[in-house]
Amino acid sequence: MNSQPPPFTNVKSYVPFRGPCDPCPPIGRKYFSTPPSLYLGFQPPGLPQFSPADALRKGTLWKVFYDYYDNPYRKGAGKPRG
Amino acid sequence: MDKPYPNDYYKQLEEIQAADFVLVELTLYLDTHPDDGQAIGQYNQFAQYSKQLKRAFESQFGPLQQGSLNSSPNVWEWSKSPWPWQI
Repeated sequence: MNSQPPPFTNVKSYVPFRGPCDPCPPIGRKYFSTPPSLYLGFQPPGLPQFSPADALRKGTLWKVFYDYYDNPYRKGAGKPRG
Repeated sequence: MDKPYPNDYYKQLEEIQAADFVLVELTLYLDTHPDDGQAIGQYNQFAQYSKQLKRAFESQFGPLQQGSLNSSPNVWEWSKSPWPWQI
């Protein structure tokens, strides 16, 4: 994988406004995913690739688009990676 | 033949899946980059490789997709078990 940390985070979060009359209990922090393809724009030719077997596992042929997903709402994964 | 397939069956199938996945990715890439010669070369290489893998697989385990050759002249293999979800 690329050595230096990516310049962007794959998961971002925000805290929705809580009104006094909100009917449901607060979720608190909400997360949304921002995959690398958002930041790349038009894909340049000749990007580094995974091997075919890896590409099948990782879901993309080009290393730059690999976007690991971990459910941030699950207890253990509170801190979103990347 | 209802005995579970040898390990080789799954290895070959995974190899075919990997080659076909590369083809899917390159197809999408080439749709927006029609003049990238290097990617076209890679696409042709994998298309040829995938065809070769499928020919070997089908001669050994039967047809992979609709339209494949039926290897035995008197048994229709397409509807024979195991079905894709049973392997």
